[in-house]
Amino acid sequence: MKDPYERQLAQVLAIKRETANTNTYSFRFVDESVQRAFRFTPGQFVIISFPGVGEAMFSIASSMSNTESFDVAIRKVGRVTTRVHQLKVGDKLCISGPYGNGWPMKELEGKDVLIITGGVGLPSPRPVIVHIEENRDDFGFLEILYGTRTPMESMFEWEFEKWHRMPRTKLALTVDQVPEGVKWKHSVGVVTTLLQDLAIKPRNAGVLICGPEVMMHFVVQDLLRKGFNGEQLYLSLERRMRCGIAQCGHCQLGPYFVCKDGPVFKYSVIRDVPDCGI
Amino acid sequence: MTYSVIMPDAEISRVLGKLGETARIFGPVQRGTEWAFGPVERAQDLCLDYVTTILPPKKFFTPTRETIFTFDGGAFSRIEDTIPEEKQILLGVHACDVEGFKFLDRVFLGFRSDPRYLRRRNNFLIFALTCKTVSDTCFCLSMGTGPGVTSGFDVLMTDIGRKYVMESGSHDGEQALRSLGLEAATEVDLEAKRAVIERLKGEFKKSVDIDGMPELCLASQDHPVWAKYGRVCLACGQCGMSCPTCFCFDVRESVDASLTKGERYREWDVCLLKEFAEVALGGNFRLERSARLRQFICHNLSYGCYQYSMTKCIGCGRCIRICPVDIDITRIARELRGEKARAEGSP
Repeated sequence: MKDPYERQLAQVLAIKRETANTNTYSFRFVDESVQRAFRFTPGQFVIISFPGVGEAMFSIASSMSNTESFDVAIRKVGRVTTRVHQLKVGDKLCISGPYGNGWPMKELEGKDVLIITGGVGLPSPRPVIVHIEENRDDFGFLEILYGTRTPMESMFEWEFEKWHRMPRTKLALTVDQVPEGVKWKHSVGVVTTLLQDLAIKPRNAGVLICGPEVMMHFVVQDLLRKGFNGEQLYLSLERRMRCGIAQCGHCQLGPYFVCKDGPVFKYSVIRDVPDCGI
Repeated sequence: MTYSVIMPDAEISRVLGKLGETARIFGPVQRGTEWAFGPVERAQDLCLDYVTTILPPKKFFTPTRETIFTFDGGAFSRIEDTIPEEKQILLGVHACDVEGFKFLDRVFLGFRSDPRYLRRRNNFLIFALTCKTVSDTCFCLSMGTGPGVTSGFDVLMTDIGRKYVMESGSHDGEQALRSLGLEAATEVDLEAKRAVIERLKGEFKKSVDIDGMPELCLASQDHPVWAKYGRVCLACGQCGMSCPTCFCFDVRESVDASLTKGERYREWDVCLLKEFAEVALGGNFRLERSARLRQFICHNLSYGCYQYSMTKCIGCGRCIRICPVDIDITRIARELRGEKARAEGSP
């Protein structure tokens, strides 16, 4: 019997610095057959595992059309992520996945797509952006609202120019504050301030939201006021997870397991669930 | 077709000896003033009159602490392979606990199968035991998990006065019974067994009205009952530890001084503990004690039905017995319905 707690050996192919404490790592499974079988949907996540250190869950940040490797953007905040940041190109680690349901790619086809994200929330919907770019005719207008605390904490900045130039696409950026001496030509304020100039209308739109709980709460409230309904708002939730297969019980959200039934939920589904927080 | 035999009290010792020839036997044994499932070496160890055990029998299938794998340098050793394929008998399991196993099976063998759980589970024959009395904290009757049980065991034993009716519930159970050289049960014996269960049904003092309870819990997240008992709750987590269907665990690492050798293990965890829902950077989705208590109660009476199409709570009453501040799930259930708590002492 296959052991769901078994992890696979993977190797670091490349490391890209995103911010002072965040890197994007490109991984590839050492075993060819494992890499070949590794298929995912945007919004799904992997478990990164170091025997003796621990395990943690991370969204897959790369395009699902890339079958040679996959990217994970990791901010150094705890035990596991600190260990990740010690990795060098060529080093090996343990990974398994993918886990979770992912963003509703099929439902989004033919629709305008609004992506609202904050801080380290961007890696989760990034594969959606890349997928839309690769299949531009399958989707309507794409609008990306991204907020960070300061300009220095912006992830995937190297890609913003490309997103700006994508047809029928709008990228709007905001930061909570601009430190002295830092140049910033975009908005200042929390991410909801960007909703004032929203290009996408509720009719025929799908909204993907990923960020801190408090940000998602206010974004949802504003969108509901603007005429969006709970059926078209999708949120990617964060919870403590220890197994990824609905056994350890930590990620329970009322009747749901975030690792198995999520991490992406329609707002209408989780609105009234205890401890939802949104 | 059920195969039924009769074991006179005087035969218990011989029967245990016979069963012990091919399997290790575990059963209820006395621990101070309480009982626990432990190894049964001699017939006198066995306490078939026990009320309930401190820890539920889940500990045999998902141990309090269990190695997932060990590692030495770069080499992994999967521990599943080292769980012996040893035949064991868990004897004296009450109906509610048998129903508890069914819930655990859905957790550990449902969405994904855990080979450790499966290996341990398969090692055991379950000899269920019809309760001899109903304790003050029992409410299985209202949960549909007792006092009678019709599946999920290999053998069912029922004391009908100076002798036990032993009925098979599986092929393995029948094989075991046939090896014991006991006389077949008569229709009179089986009627006596049914009478025992009918008598027990009249002895319950506690109950939960589960009709519509899953929906009611979901609609009651702001009910004052959570704050009321959340203020009293010590968040000690004993309710979850003693719950036969609580399955949560944490995954941890243990490393020796060389930093290269060690193990990854899992250990029982309980949603009542503050760290349970903590995430990176100190966020906590259930910081309030009332929210943690609500999680425990609602998982038992509501969420489990959505997760596994089965009520998680089996009405064993262990959480009520063990709670140091007398929080009572049946009382909370009644208050959720807006019924006044009956006079039975209040926390």
